[in-house]
Amino acid sequence: MIFFQGKKSRVIEYLFTIWVIFTLNFFLPRTMPGDPFLFISADEEGEEVAQFSEEQRNYYMAYYGLDRPLYSQYFSYFSDLSKGYLGYSLYYNQPVTIILLHRLPWTLCLVMTAVILSTVIGIVLGGFCAVYADRWEDRLLYFMLIAISEIPAFLVGLVLLFFFAAGMGLFPLSGAMTHFSGYDGFMEKTGDILHHAALPVIALTLTRISGIFLLTRSSIITVLTKTYIKTARAKGISGQRIFIKHIFRNAMLPIVTRVFLSLGSLVGGAILVENVFAYPGLGKLMRDAVMMHDYPLIQGIFLMVTISVLSANFIADLVYKKLDPRISDAAAADGH
Amino acid sequence: MMMPGKYLTFINRFSKTGQTGLIIVGIVFFMAIFAPLISVHSHKLSSGPPLSSPNGEHILGTDELGVDLWAQICFGSRISLVIGMGTALLAGSCGGLIGVLAAYSGGMTDRILMRIIDIITVLPDLPVMIVLAAFFGPGLINIIIVLSLFSWVATARIVRSQVLQLKEQLYIKSAETYGAGTWYLMKRHFLPEIFPLVAVSMIRLTGKAIVAEAGLSFLGLGDPASGSWGLIIHHATSFTGIYYTNFWKWWLIAPWIALTLMVSSLAFISRDFERFADPRMDRRKNRYQKQ
Repeated sequence: MIFFQGKKSRVIEYLFTIWVIFTLNFFLPRTMPGDPFLFISADEEGEEVAQFSEEQRNYYMAYYGLDRPLYSQYFSYFSDLSKGYLGYSLYYNQPVTIILLHRLPWTLCLVMTAVILSTVIGIVLGGFCAVYADRWEDRLLYFMLIAISEIPAFLVGLVLLFFFAAGMGLFPLSGAMTHFSGYDGFMEKTGDILHHAALPVIALTLTRISGIFLLTRSSIITVLTKTYIKTARAKGISGQRIFIKHIFRNAMLPIVTRVFLSLGSLVGGAILVENVFAYPGLGKLMRDAVMMHDYPLIQGIFLMVTISVLSANFIADLVYKKLDPRISDAAAADGH
Repeated sequence: MMMPGKYLTFINRFSKTGQTGLIIVGIVFFMAIFAPLISVHSHKLSSGPPLSSPNGEHILGTDELGVDLWAQICFGSRISLVIGMGTALLAGSCGGLIGVLAAYSGGMTDRILMRIIDIITVLPDLPVMIVLAAFFGPGLINIIIVLSLFSWVATARIVRSQVLQLKEQLYIKSAETYGAGTWYLMKRHFLPEIFPLVAVSMIRLTGKAIVAEAGLSFLGLGDPASGSWGLIIHHATSFTGIYYTNFWKWWLIAPWIALTLMVSSLAFISRDFERFADPRMDRRKNRYQKQ
């Protein structure tokens, strides 16, 4: 970490990582054993009927540009990417970019709501426990949150689904909206969407709270021991002001980074949770694409998800520096 | 550090949750080793009416093909343990080696390795695992390799920072001036110091790998022949009409409880281990203070 310092090198590092991902995405299907034409022609998995004649094969090779040398394919891959063209989905018969843009809002909704809810609840509970540290309220909450946090989100989702949706019928079983329902107004539509999103969001939120909670609790406890808090008290500043201006501001720093840096694993959780609830976001799409052997689509989702997570990490770096000018790049990179 | 012959006091150092965790993991090991003995029925063949609820004959009921669920859970624990420990061993040893290599050789090697570690750290692991599993095909070995590809970085990072600290210690320096070779230093000084660290991170890795395998299997990307706990959940949730019947009350709950207990037990154990075997805990405290 010592040898890469300064804002510029951070940017270069991220650009390099993105380049690695693009390249990986380019080479992965090309290093696979087998031949794309076998897959296109076979109706079912495992059934390898090559119905292409030599001429047809050559025609399609030329059509898809696979007869050109590797470096030339590589360059046209990048020029396609720069135009936002991610390929053509074999199953949905649509450009990958369009499918992604259709599905993205649903995933974004889930992830953003879960991030906001878990952060707010985690901070509130963490602050509460820091103030009441080592009393029974603190111990109980601490144990409960730790225990829940160890259960992966999709298992929590399954329990919620079966108890509250299947068992009690309180929530819809799947999807993001009721099919074929004519909504009477905006409110009804919003209500329906919220009703569908509730359980997935709860599942994601429950598993995220404890991270934020532990961090808030420990950093507030640490800040409370600082002498500047004593000084502030001695100066006669009101408790509320101390909490907001001194304790909260200082305790926030690690929390902000944590929120952004945990997005990667949250996305992983969201992919699984979407599949639990058959929620029509990117995660569900990714599984469907894998099941249909729709490689361009898989790669498109992969690129979109990884690049978004990387951007979030990059923003975390920037925000962190804004909030705390003392922190060097090295510490920001090491902060998770 | 752990001394031989002091196991009892060692176990006493665990918290209540850690001790519970040890017991549960012990039970799972027992189930895995003696699976053919403790399950009466076959875990692959039908042995009763399909979808029967728990009864005297089938203590956890049967699935849609009439296969005994208790037998499936017992044999599934083998898969979880193989995946978990396989990944932990592979990723832990590779991570340890790479960490030592990076710290010890320094310079360009260190720089390149750290760059790779940084890249893998920021990549969201599940999407990449899905892509890799989709391209390489399902299979236990493939799953272990794919999981390891992502898991070694944490170990490597921890080991590297520990070796870097050790390298500056006076006793190492003096050993060097007395002419101790790289291998001697490794064996005599570095390995004993980093072994507890690697062991702790291996427990973490085991839990993570079991969860990841369950996730992949749940998505239908695991080894379809493995019969892991995640796969039972996958079969249960893909059963048409599972939501409208009571079948989930045994078919889904059994693997769910097995997975949850196993994963949380491992987490509690590693939490305790971290508490008394990881010198970085102090450093972490300092870091919060800095921030």
